[in-house]
Amino acid sequence: MLLRSPLGQARGLGSAKEGVQHWWMQRITAVALLPLSLWFVFSVATHQLVPHDAIVAWLHNPLVAAVLVFYFAVLFYHSALGVQVVVEDYVGGQFKKLATLMLFKLAHGLVAVIAIIAVLKVAFGGM
Amino acid sequence: MAQLTLPRNSRIDKAAGKVHKAEAGAKNIRKFKIYRYDPDAGANPHVDTFEVDLDKCGPMVLDALIKIKSETDATVTFRRSCREGICGSCAMNIDGGNHLACLTHIKDIKGDVNIYPLPHMPVVKDLVPDLTHFYAQYASIEPWLKTTTPAPTRERLQTPEDRAKLDGLYECILCACCSTACPSYWWNGDRYLGPAILMAAYRWLVDSRDEATGERLDMLEDPFKLYRCHTILNCSRTCPKGLNPARAIAETKKMLVERRN
Amino acid sequence: MAAYDIVDHAYDVVVVGAGGAGLRATLGLAEAGLKTASISKVFPTRSHTVAAQGGISAALGNIQPEDNWRYHMYDTVKGSDWLGDQDAIQYMTREAIPAIIELEHYGMPFSRTPDGKIYQRPFGGMSLNYGEKQAHRTCAAADRTGHAMLHTLYQQALKAKAEFYIEYFAIDLLMAEDGSCHGVLAWDLNDGKLHRFRAQRTILATGGYGRAFFSCTSAHTCTGDGGGMAARAGIALQDMEFVQFHPTGIYGAGCLITEGSRGEGGYLTNAKNERFMERYAPHDKDLACRDVVARAMTVEINEGRGVGGEHDHIFLNLQHLGPQVLHERLPGITETARIFAGVDATKEPIPVLPTVHYNMGGIPTNMHGEVVTLKDGNPDAVVPGLMAVGEAACVSVHGANRLGSNSLLDLVVFGRAAALECAAKLKIGAPLKAIAKDSEDRALARFDRLRYAQKGTLGTAQIRVKMQKTMQAHAAVFRTQESMDKGRALLNDIIKSYDDVQVSDTSLVWNSDLAETMELENLLTNALFTLACAQNRTESRGAHARDDCPDRDDVHWMKHTLAWRDGETSVKIDYRPVHTYTLDEEAKYIEPQVREY
Repeated sequence: MLLRSPLGQARGLGSAKEGVQHWWMQRITAVALLPLSLWFVFSVATHQLVPHDAIVAWLHNPLVAAVLVFYFAVLFYHSALGVQVVVEDYVGGQFKKLATLMLFKLAHGLVAVIAIIAVLKVAFGGM
Repeated sequence: MAQLTLPRNSRIDKAAGKVHKAEAGAKNIRKFKIYRYDPDAGANPHVDTFEVDLDKCGPMVLDALIKIKSETDATVTFRRSCREGICGSCAMNIDGGNHLACLTHIKDIKGDVNIYPLPHMPVVKDLVPDLTHFYAQYASIEPWLKTTTPAPTRERLQTPEDRAKLDGLYECILCACCSTACPSYWWNGDRYLGPAILMAAYRWLVDSRDEATGERLDMLEDPFKLYRCHTILNCSRTCPKGLNPARAIAETKKMLVERRN
Repeated sequence: MAAYDIVDHAYDVVVVGAGGAGLRATLGLAEAGLKTASISKVFPTRSHTVAAQGGISAALGNIQPEDNWRYHMYDTVKGSDWLGDQDAIQYMTREAIPAIIELEHYGMPFSRTPDGKIYQRPFGGMSLNYGEKQAHRTCAAADRTGHAMLHTLYQQALKAKAEFYIEYFAIDLLMAEDGSCHGVLAWDLNDGKLHRFRAQRTILATGGYGRAFFSCTSAHTCTGDGGGMAARAGIALQDMEFVQFHPTGIYGAGCLITEGSRGEGGYLTNAKNERFMERYAPHDKDLACRDVVARAMTVEINEGRGVGGEHDHIFLNLQHLGPQVLHERLPGITETARIFAGVDATKEPIPVLPTVHYNMGGIPTNMHGEVVTLKDGNPDAVVPGLMAVGEAACVSVHGANRLGSNSLLDLVVFGRAAALECAAKLKIGAPLKAIAKDSEDRALARFDRLRYAQKGTLGTAQIRVKMQKTMQAHAAVFRTQESMDKGRALLNDIIKSYDDVQVSDTSLVWNSDLAETMELENLLTNALFTLACAQNRTESRGAHARDDCPDRDDVHWMKHTLAWRDGETSVKIDYRPVHTYTLDEEAKYIEPQVREY
């Protein structure tokens, strides 16, 4: 039985006075991902049948490496924001939710760092 | 939190439903399948079937419900009052969508007419949901004019253009059709304000007479109160008054961005 | 009898009903610091005030600067066919101006004039300079003024932290031996418990009893619960013969089409496509008073000039106004016409019929909201502890016929007056007096009998529809002694048959079968009073039009009918004088004149 007043329940913990940053960044990253993803898919598709050396050479182009690093950063940031919403929507229990959120955020960070280092390693490595 | 199956004591007992036949000689029969829950019985809800002779019934779903209550089973329980779509009492789930029974033509429904209470709300009895939390959320947004400037002797002036900004907002009848059609409200209704209440909040954000816009935006800026809206748009699709809560929510989000950029 | 645990409450004031009048009173009481309970059988914004469309009158002069509340007072007196009390009418029309400004300050979304003021539209019976020309006096929020007002009042009540008991059904008044009122017994539909609300003052704001008739614009919840409870407590009801028929209810469905539609330029036509109102009211035409228009329509239909296959209704034409005006000023009724009449109002006329709309009569009060009665020769004797406001009350500002847009005004002006009266007279937290034991026992016994009335043979709905058809046929727009006597005999039998009512649901949680059965009892009481008072008044005045006594008779009948329940089917009748004086020298008494429009 819940004996708290309905208004007390409705007000809950009050407003977090944040959320617009999250929402806005999700929109901005979404807009950025549109051309970036098209470029990435197009590039991967055209390089698919090319020998390994050619791809490495392609990544040695500093502009390509820079855009790819940027792409991964934006992609994983966008994904982290999105997954956060899904977890908040569907995972119940405060502890379980916070743990899942932390796990997913750390995982996103880790995978993003790995992806970026991989690009850099190839970009700065030898032929 | 998302709950994808009904709790055990809310599942419909398929064996318990009764069938009430229409009187002999009725030609234009339609079956109304109505959700029944009796809090005193301690049993699970069931669905009763009522055959209604449409030749002897008014055109609206509410007419059929009243006919059933008057002639077949007086224990069928539902809220109703104005019967013309302005009081918001008879909101229920009809044929899978949330509607006002008084504004829903029976002829627009194909096949059997399935009638359930508004989804995902605690049920008090039959088609009567408990809207206490919904009303408390309405109170929580402080839906009244806030000003610091002392009121003038006469009315506060407002241009017809500024007044027009309230059109499509102030007409809300608090029937809760939209909020209870929103999956986000189903999953997080304890914290998410839902479309009806957010539209009520927006009504004050755009009232040129109100002086608390910033304070109101502060109060709304919250991952749960506002940002659970994922633009599913069920709200605008179901509104029996043809209002567009989704637009009001989108405009609120735009205002929040506007004030920091 | 089953044992009932009763939850006890002590308040300074308890308000029964949360429509326009009840909410305005509650709001004022909460602001005055009085501990107030507002009890309502529906959530406040679902009260029938929400359905008011056209507007709320006040001589603001936003469109016509020459407007004056004295003109408004004159129109109201003339509309009432001189049965209204002129002191109360003066108070209402004068206080109208600050009352509307107050609503605007509360945030009510009125429509606006180009210079930003509250928009005002023409309405029936409203004139400038004592009948000279049509006044624009009715303040409007499109055609949803009642909705805008009720929601605004509820919002203000929330702001004032008023205490609500929502979906509580009032069973009966709790009276003391000396006939004073000390609270109300109510039933919480949501958990089934009974509650005893004791208070220094009880304010009845329960609305009208339109559902006593078969075809009405009223909501299903308009069941005259206040009048029923008062009559059971031995209190008299006043002017119950006066029932207003709104000229434009949708044919068949009965839904209201606002008088504002004619205010904006709509007009009525008969089967010959004739604008017949020009014959009946050459000056005001379609904007004559409601009783005049309703009678004219009925005559047209009775003389075979009705429209439709059965020649049994009239057309309301709005198509010439154009989609722009309809969209901006009359969006709600355009929608209602589409849904309930299947008519596109921008292209075709709307089928309409005079439909029961408002009860001028009710619980007699003075202009502070205190219930009054005739006692030991004093026609203004106050019933201690009991007050009434809104349609449930009879102040009497509407007399024999209410002007359109004076109803919403009545609600806020007298709701506020009642709150002011309590604030002035009551001591916060004063000790409460004892309730007579038998008063509560009677209420409980009645509740319990109906709850366990499974052995009856007549369903509530069966009895109700008989009553409604009887009232529709015998207390109609035009009445005769013969028809009313016949109706009374039928009604008496229907009232007797209530002893055999059957309730199928015995539960206490949301037992709407039981609630409707108690509502039916209240309706039957109101219906009985209406017919009895109508049989008794042998003249025609305002909404009470008799073919057999077609003239107004000021010599014998310029008086309020007062009626008490006097046995199962009998009513005792006496009278109170009409106040033939004004409040102060700001306005002069308006002598009776021949009423022409």
